[in-house]
Parts: sequence; C-alpha cells; structure tokens
Amino acid sequence: MLGKLALAGIKNRRRDYLVLLAGLTMSAAIFYMFANLATNQAFLKANAAISSANIIFGFGAVLLILITVVYIMYANSFLLSMRQHDYGLFMMLGATRKRVGELVFLETLILGTIATAIGLGLGLLMSKFLVGFLLNMLGLHLSHLTAVYVPAIVATGVLYVGLFILASLFNLIKLTRTTVLKLLHSDELANQPKVKPLRQMVQGVLGILFLAAGYWALASIKALQLAAIPIALVTITLGTYLLFRATILMVIRTLRHTGWAKKHLNGFLLGQLNFRVHNYTRMLTIVSLLFAMALGAITVGSGYHRQLPMMAEKIGTYTVAVHDKTAREQKLIDQLHVAHQATYTQKRQGKTVYYNASELRQTPVELRAYSNSGNMNDQKLYTESLKKFKKSGISDLDFLSLALGKVGAYSPKILTAKQFAKQPGKVVTVTTVRVKNLQQDLPALKKLNKLETARFSQPGTMTVGNYQNYEMMLAFFGGLEFIGYFLGIAFLAMLASCLMFKILSGAPGDQRRYRMLYKVGVRESLMRHGIAKEIGILFLIPGIMGVIDVLFGLQMFKPLMAAPMSPYLGIGSTFLIFIGLYAIYYLITLALYWRIVLPQAPND
Amino acid sequence: MTTNTVVSVSGLEKTYGKANERQYTALKGLNFTVDSGEFVGIMGASGSGKTTLLNMLSTLDTPTKGDVVVNGHDVTKMRGNQLADFRAQEVGFIFQDFNLLESLTAEENIGLPLALKGTPAKVMDQAIHEVAETLSIADLLQKYPAELSGGQKQRVAAARAIVHHPAILMGDEPTGALDSTSARELLDLLTTINEQQKMSVLLVTHDPFSASFCQRILFIKDGQIGSELRRGDQDRSTFYQGILTELGTFNE
Repeated sequence: MLGKLALAGIKNRRRDYLVLLAGLTMSAAIFYMFANLATNQAFLKANAAISSANIIFGFGAVLLILITVVYIMYANSFLLSMRQHDYGLFMMLGATRKRVGELVFLETLILGTIATAIGLGLGLLMSKFLVGFLLNMLGLHLSHLTAVYVPAIVATGVLYVGLFILASLFNLIKLTRTTVLKLLHSDELANQPKVKPLRQMVQGVLGILFLAAGYWALASIKALQLAAIPIALVTITLGTYLLFRATILMVIRTLRHTGWAKKHLNGFLLGQLNFRVHNYTRMLTIVSLLFAMALGAITVGSGYHRQLPMMAEKIGTYTVAVHDKTAREQKLIDQLHVAHQATYTQKRQGKTVYYNASELRQTPVELRAYSNSGNMNDQKLYTESLKKFKKSGISDLDFLSLALGKVGAYSPKILTAKQFAKQPGKVVTVTTVRVKNLQQDLPALKKLNKLETARFSQPGTMTVGNYQNYEMMLAFFGGLEFIGYFLGIAFLAMLASCLMFKILSGAPGDQRRYRMLYKVGVRESLMRHGIAKEIGILFLIPGIMGVIDVLFGLQMFKPLMAAPMSPYLGIGSTFLIFIGLYAIYYLITLALYWRIVLPQAPND
Repeated sequence: MTTNTVVSVSGLEKTYGKANERQYTALKGLNFTVDSGEFVGIMGASGSGKTTLLNMLSTLDTPTKGDVVVNGHDVTKMRGNQLADFRAQEVGFIFQDFNLLESLTAEENIGLPLALKGTPAKVMDQAIHEVAETLSIADLLQKYPAELSGGQKQRVAAARAIVHHPAILMGDEPTGALDSTSARELLDLLTTINEQQKMSVLLVTHDPFSASFCQRILFIKDGQIGSELRRGDQDRSTFYQGILTELGTFNE
C-alpha cells in the first residue's frame, strides 16, 4: 500500500523526476566517456606523445570523481527536498519508521540504478558518435579508441551504484532521525546569519592572502614544477571560500540599507539572497573552481587548436613545395593566399642536385634567422646575396629538403646559367609557396599535400615545408587538445547541473514565499523578474570568480605554450562559447524554478 | 447611516468541479454590502463558505456568477496585472498564519506594499514608523519574524495590511493562531484602526469572541446568508451573549 502511495507521489512530480533522472544520466554518460579514455591503456600508450598527458588524465579522473560525489550529493538533496513532506505524511498516517526507511532506501537506489543504466547506454553511444565528431572537428586521429571498453563500464557502474547506496543510507539516516513535524514543515525555517565585523575582516584578508598565494603558485609553475597544482588547488579553494563568506554578506547588508532596496521587490530579493548565499558559500566555492577548471581546460584546448598553425608557420620558410606541378595542383595553388612564391629548375644526377644561378638571383631563397632567445617572433625571414648564399644558405635544411631522394637529401650545387644548360640530369621544377595565414588555407593545403606525397615518396622522418610540420605537431599535441575540450565540456555540464540542483532543491521552500507575495498583490511579471535576478546572481557569482581564476590559472600553461603562442591569445571567443553554454543552464534552471514556484492564478 | 458602500456583492455564486464532473456549489447567490468605515463580521461553521467568500472578495479566486464591487472596482472583470495591483492597493490582508516573509525584517515586511507602488524611501520610512507607533511595534522593526511571538507577528502583519491605507482591511481568522491575551490586543487594535482611521474592516471568523468586536455580523449557512445581527448601542459583552444565543439557534 505504502509502495503504491510512493509511486503515486512520484507520478505527481514526474517532471521534476525527469529532470533529476536526466541530470544523473548525463553525469553517468560523461563519466563513462572519460573513464573510457582514461582507463584504456592501449589508447593512452598510442597517443600520449607527451608525458604530461598521463598526469593530466590522472588529475582529470580525480577531479571528475570529486565532482561526481558532490553532484550526487546535491541531486540527492533535491530528491529528498521533494519527498520529505510525503514521507512525513506517511509517518503521520502511522507508517513505521522502518517501513518508510525501506521506501526511501529503495526509491533512491532504484532511481540511481536506472540513471546509471541509461547513462551507460548513452555514454556508449556518445563515445561512438560524439567523440568521433569532436575528433573530426579538431582534425585529429586518435588510434585505439573504441566505444565499448569493459573496464570503463565496470568502473562507472561500481562508482555510481556505490554512491547511490551511500546516498540511500544517508537519506535513511536523515529521515529516521528527524521528527515527523519537522518533515512536514521542513521548508518553513530561514536562518538569519549573524554578521561579526571583526571576524569578517580577518576572513576577508586571509581569503585574499590565500588567493594571492594560489595565483603565485600557478604563475611560478616553472620553479615549483608539479607541486604547483595541488598547492594552487588548496589555497585557491580556501581563499575563494573565505572571500565569499567575508564579502557577499557584507555587500548584501550594505545594499539593504540603501534606497534601492526599498523599490519594488528589491528588498525581497536581497532578503532571499541574504539567507541563501550563506548556505551556498561552500557550494559557490566549489562551483567557481569547477567553472575555472572547465573554462581553463577549454581555453587551453582551443588555444592549442588555434595556435598550432601559428607556431608551425614560424618554424620553416615555405609552406609547401610542389615538384613538377600538375594542372590540378596549379589550381589548388591559385586558391592559396600567397605571400611568397618561387619556382626553381633542378637537374638531378647521382647524389647531386644542380640549380641555375640566374633563377636564384632573380628570386632569392628566403631564409629564417634563428635566435637563441626562444621567442619565435624574433625569427624573421630574410634573403641574402647569391655569393653569400653559396657559402651558408645553401646548407639550410629547408633548401636541402627541396630535393629529397629515397635515402635522403641530394647535395645542392649552384651553376651559372651556361653551365646549367650543359649539365645533364633529370629535370625537375620545384615551386615553393609561403601562404599569408596557414590556418586560412588549411583545406587547400591539405589536398595539395596529399597530391604531392602521393606522387613523390619521401623518407618518413623528414618533413617538407610548414604544412607537414603542422601535421606532425597536430598529432603530437592532439591528445592534449582533445583532453582540454573534453574535460572542459564535462566539467561545465556537471558544475552547472550541480548549481541547478542546489537551486532547485530550494524551490519547494520558496513556493510558500511566492504564494504570500501573490496574495499581497505582487504582479506576476515582477515576481518573474525577481526570480530571474536572484538565480542570475547565484549563477553570476561563481561565474565571475571562475573567470578570474582562469585568467590567473592560464599562467600555468605559459611554459607549455612558448611565444608566439600564448595561453591568453584569442580567449575571448572561447569565453563567449563557454558563457553561452553556461547561460543555457541558467535559462533551464530559471524555467524550472518558475514552474515550481510561481502561484497559479485562478483561470476558470 | 447613509455613507457610500465599500463592498457590494450581488448574486454571488461559486461552483467547484467541471461541468461533466460531480459539482459542489459553495456559494448560492449571496447579496450584501459593507459601508465605508464599517466593522463587519462574517460567521459560519466550517464548510459554510466563509473562506470561499473572502477569496472572491480578495480576487484570489473568481466567482462562477454574480458581481463583486470593491471600492468602485468590479473585481470580476479584472485580469492579470489589474488583479495584482488591486490586491496591492485597495485591500489589506491579515491571515491566520501571518504570511510574513521570514527572509525580511519586520520593517521590510511592512514596507512591502509601499515598495510595490514605488513609493520614495523617505515617505516609506515615515509611513512605516507611523503605523508602527499605532500598533506599538516600533521597537520590533529590525527583528526577523522568527524572533517574534505570535501576537507580535500578527501585529506586524496588521501593520503591513494598513500601511498603504487600503479601502478595506480583510481578516481571515486573524486570531486563530493567537493566545487569548494576544487575540484581545489585536482585536482592540483593529477596533482602534477602524475608529480612528475610518477604515472599513471585514472579519471572517468562527470565533464568537472575535465577532463580538464587530458592529454587524452576517451568518452564513450552506452558502447563503442565514441571518444578520447588529450591535447597535449594546456593550461588547452583551453583544457577545447575543451572538452565542444566535449561534445556538442558528445551527439547529
């Protein structure tokens, strides 16, 4: 009988349950996708070109588990907040605590198991299609990546079901310890935090000191090495928490005494925030850190993506070299945005390649000045007189690469026009093109390179031109870039859901307050705006803090992204995309909140 | 007494349930008026339709048939924002369960109706302090509802109900959750407000003691007005006995 009642209760709130289930399912799916990558040894070995990728995956896994724990905690409290009134009612009707306890336990566990099962299925599908799509978009190919990987399925299942058993136990203990009356009227209390100015001052100063220490640790990652990351994590978490505690309440208090608070619902908004933010401090701290990590991961990921071409084009001189160009190749060359183009005639005989001096005089070979400063912006292009070129430039690697045989480079010799005409040998013309912007011409260059390498085989260890350099680097940094994107999106999805559930679990309690406002004669539009502002602020606070965290945190990647690359380059668009996604979560939360909280006007 | 009327109800009907379901008629053609400055009580047993009536008067619910005119506004013809504005400006409410917002201080709770109108802060402060003096809660203004006793909460609620000088003050069992001393204090205050500010008061109650503070009482039975009792020149305790006698025979 009680079971039937419980089912009826769930049916009545099926939309809320759907939200909960969807959130948990997504979380399980994301976790599976990550576990699939992180635990797949064959995949890791094949792609971890840089040793740090393993460490990044390790950190990522730990963080993801932590977030999952927090996430399930909040989802669970949302579940409990929806159900405790019903449970109280059952107990009042005479159900034993044991019976209600069983019900709670089963309900949580069943919901969790369903979510995990669907989540695993979704995760498998997403691994198959979404990951492939992401890789395609990034122009990457990662080997040994399979959608179905049994150890990852086991890991996800064990973690989630385990956590749900814990959550069920937690609910059980909580319910059997609270009195029936408290369950029935659980949402009517609002504690007012006390403000102690001296303590807040100390907290504020400590918070700033901790934050400063954290940012310093990130900026000096070169000196601290890997220790910087744990140090920064601890200090920034503590600092953010203390700063939140110290400042937000003060700001709200101050605002409450201004004239602004006495207009429309502003006073109510501040009152709501006042007791809410206090409860939310811990939550907001975690969320702002997650926000920073997600944003940081995406920024770094897209930074690599955007800046690899830039790095590649600063290394060599020409972008592509085409030998004996065909009509099709000429067409592709015409599509390029050419900065510099040169065509030379070669005569190859034995192990020597001969060049015509008059051609080299007419269009001298571009050379790059390599400096020791490490700053690639100092590495300018220049040309030199033929006389000088014969001495030094002739041994330039890029020039040598223009004539590659099966075993290696031909040794070049420069002949006068007369001598060149007499010189026997196989005639080859080579055209070098340097494009203005590698990124812009990537599609055409890709085709050109394919045609060229199909006709002329070259030693596997050699690269000719910047485009081939770029392809090599892409494979090299690809893993890192992919992890960045993946972690970023996963973190964002989880953190925003955490925030969403935390806010939504406060909604049933707010129902009564908005009902009162409705009776007192507050326009619905005013209530809507009020709620939008309130939830907006709760989303905004961790957002702002997170952005600041990222701006400092990117310091950490400076050693990895040498100039002219910079972790800060072009972060605007990444931020915009990220904030857009975050805003979508805000809108979903808002819509749900409106639906739960706003009183229905009589409509008959 | 030929003053203008504040509330005029004619042919008011309310039926619950859809046409194809089993229907229940809570109000069956109610007619009455409340004059400006009058203190009227509405009495009846549980289920007689008192609360339904009050919900119609305060626009929280819409009638199936009939007209309700409050201070010149035909309530049944209003929609959406008009309804909200009407509740905010023309009516003051006191509820049995106080309905104070516990996230706001007493002062902020009282100021809410003025804030909704967009009253300047200075005018607002003055109005709040005036009404706080009248209800002797000036020293409670900075407290939160959780720190107040039931009687104090209800006085804060009363202050919120009258701070914007509504045309009529409506009370739904305002003494229902109070001990007898607090209840008497509140009723005395309501009488004072009614006399000094000439504010009309409509009190819905099933408690004869509360009702004895009214000038006129309407008895509702099964959705209709069964009888009416006027206090006239009687003192309160005599009127109280009268009400008890009426109730004794009314339900037979």
